[in-house]
Amino acid sequence: MTPELTINAGHNATGPVLALVGDLDHATAPQLRTAVTDTALTPGQILTLDLSAVAFCDSSGITALIAAHRRALAQEADLVLADVPARVLRILRILGLDQVLRLAGQ
Amino acid sequence: MCGTADGEHERETGHDSVEEAERAQFSALLEDSAEDLYEHAPCGYLSTMLDGQIAKVNTTLLDWLGYTRDQLVGRRRFADLLTVGGKLYHETHFAPLLAMQGHLSGIALELRAADGSRLPVLVTSTVKTGSDGQPLLIRTTLFDARDRRAYEQELLRARKSAEQAQSQAETAHQEAETERARLQQVVAILQKSLLPPQLPQVPGLDAASYYHPASVDEIGGDFYDLFALAGGRWGFFLGDVCGKGPEAASATSLIRYTLRAAFLADSDPVQALATVHAALHERYAGEDPRYCTAIAGTLTPRPDGIAVTLAGGGHPSALLLRADGTAEFLPTPGGTLVGILPRPHFSTAHTLLGPGDTMLLYTDGLTEARTQAGPRYSEEDLHTFAAALAPAGAAATINALQGLLESFGAGLDDDTALLALGVPAANTIEGAAG
Amino acid sequence: MDAVSRNNVKVTGPVDGPVVMLAHGFGCDQNMWRLVVPQLVEHFRVVLFDYVGSGNADPSAWNRERYSSLEGYADDVLEICDQLDLTDVVFVGHSVSAMVGVLAAARRPHRFAKLIMVAPSPCYIDDPATGYTGGFTAGDIDELLESLDSNYLGWSGAMAPVIMGNPDRPELGQELTNSFCATDPVMASVFAHTTFHSDSRADLASVAVPTLVLECSQDVIAPREAGAFVHAAIPGSRLVTLDATGHCPQLSAPQATGTAIMEFAGAAR
Repeated sequence: MTPELTINAGHNATGPVLALVGDLDHATAPQLRTAVTDTALTPGQILTLDLSAVAFCDSSGITALIAAHRRALAQEADLVLADVPARVLRILRILGLDQVLRLAGQ
Repeated sequence: MCGTADGEHERETGHDSVEEAERAQFSALLEDSAEDLYEHAPCGYLSTMLDGQIAKVNTTLLDWLGYTRDQLVGRRRFADLLTVGGKLYHETHFAPLLAMQGHLSGIALELRAADGSRLPVLVTSTVKTGSDGQPLLIRTTLFDARDRRAYEQELLRARKSAEQAQSQAETAHQEAETERARLQQVVAILQKSLLPPQLPQVPGLDAASYYHPASVDEIGGDFYDLFALAGGRWGFFLGDVCGKGPEAASATSLIRYTLRAAFLADSDPVQALATVHAALHERYAGEDPRYCTAIAGTLTPRPDGIAVTLAGGGHPSALLLRADGTAEFLPTPGGTLVGILPRPHFSTAHTLLGPGDTMLLYTDGLTEARTQAGPRYSEEDLHTFAAALAPAGAAATINALQGLLESFGAGLDDDTALLALGVPAANTIEGAAG
Repeated sequence: MDAVSRNNVKVTGPVDGPVVMLAHGFGCDQNMWRLVVPQLVEHFRVVLFDYVGSGNADPSAWNRERYSSLEGYADDVLEICDQLDLTDVVFVGHSVSAMVGVLAAARRPHRFAKLIMVAPSPCYIDDPATGYTGGFTAGDIDELLESLDSNYLGWSGAMAPVIMGNPDRPELGQELTNSFCATDPVMASVFAHTTFHSDSRADLASVAVPTLVLECSQDVIAPREAGAFVHAAIPGSRLVTLDATGHCPQLSAPQATGTAIMEFAGAAR
């Protein structure tokens, strides 16, 4: 069990990309919050969270994803979750978040 | 050559003078009387009467103390030369021991010199007895122990600071343990306040529940309840607040009482969840959003069983263990988590619990547990487990799941709440009726 | 609780003799009485003991709270009396034990017939406010504790061979060696604190049994003023001044001490 999270920042055509590698849980969720806060967003951009390498996501991680969504909307931008692994997708579905958050690359 | 002659002469002269010096030294040694040795020995000598009265003292000791012989002999007692603490020690330990044993050695005492300064000494005393064995006087030798005392004091200081450090560490440890015990007690009490002390007796319904706290140090965020509504109906809910600890407990308390109040006002489960959403949204509007997932529902007794209406808000689906030995989920599609989204959606589902049917509600501590084999448990695994278990009454279902949870061991790292509601099997009802 | 074995109680002398209980003071144990016991056992049933924390008493029975007050030492005395069911006891207390006797007699008057206070001092520290002379300042007591500490380091090692190797005193067997010399420094320190910080002046008025105050003419620890104070504070008490120096007349003047005890204890009750 390595409760660690690495976040790699980059860009694509639609806006900034944060690629998450590791577990998104109580211990690491603040990292995501900080990374999102530190990412400059302009209106119309899309913040992409690449979740392809997220092994585990708990309620704190979900809260951080929702907070990222809120922040993007507040900046008149949008949030996309890309390449969500089946396990995380299942949780998002249970929570009904698949109707609220934009998913891409499934 | 001259040099050689001079050299030999000198050597002869030198030879003579060395011999003379040796002779002089030797005779000086011979002339060293016992009296001179007594007076100028490298230690203090003191002879006292049995009552301590000083009878004889050597020059060395007089020099150390700065007294004249006349000031001490016949006028002072040994104890008079000691510091006050030394006097007490002398009277309570030294003198009694000497009287009982006739000999005493290596006792550390401090002398008080004429100028008030202290001189640490090591004292050895012997009682001189006459030919008839009767004690006559006390002979005492005193060694300068300044260096030794300094060293001892250093040892004592080190010992004391070590003892102090140890006792501080022990005290801190005890305080931490006490504090931890107190905290655990508070946690246990608060946790109880978030759960019903016991489930009510519902006619025609078997109910059972189980709560597994992930930690005795932290309050979990799982909750459930079963309570009476107007018109012979019953309300129930089970849910999970995100996070742990006091913040989560505070939210749990709000949710639990809001749900009960909402049900009393309007027994529509969707409306109840919407009310909770509004309460959470209003309370946690700021930086630290709180949400929960929950299933809330009503039970309506019917001739053929109990009709269930439930609403799901982002919560794992209820699981039905049918009397015919099958198991099925009761999904509430499209339901979203409660309290955090701008436009939440809660959907309903209906079913009838006939005789022998049991409905299980659970939190994701169960379905997210790490199994001993490695991967996490899942809804699919739970379904398989339930299908194997069915048919089973409420208590049997909870028992079986409790066993399952225990089999996860340390893999069960989240709180887990279980609530089973079942209609007794037909033969049980007949038995009861008969 | 078995006080008899806990306090290393030794009972000698005629079974039907009047009971004399000999209580040692700070820094000693029951061996302090060894020179007067032979005299006493001819007429009295002599009860000897060690306070917990001294001599051969059971060290596991010691706790700081109980033995930080003289009442705890009085508890030892009373528990022994209760277990042996002693009555009409002549209690002979040396030094601080004289005050322990006062406390014990006040609590179980029916057990005690007489009190003999050897070299007593009801308060060791001067009290300028009332003009009382105890002989010491609080700082002096700290010095004593220092002395206890500094002797603890080399104490048992240096002392044990001396006593064990004493061929002239076969009675001082290994038992004595262990008991007298290896006093636990923590327990000794607590006893010293309790003893020298005690103030029993107010308790003296409670004494209701015939009392003998046996003081020494030259006592470094209990000055004559202290003996006079005790004598004045206990109505009807007798004061006898032994021609003895030091604080332990039972060692420095055993004959005179034993005789004084016998005379008072044996006198008509």
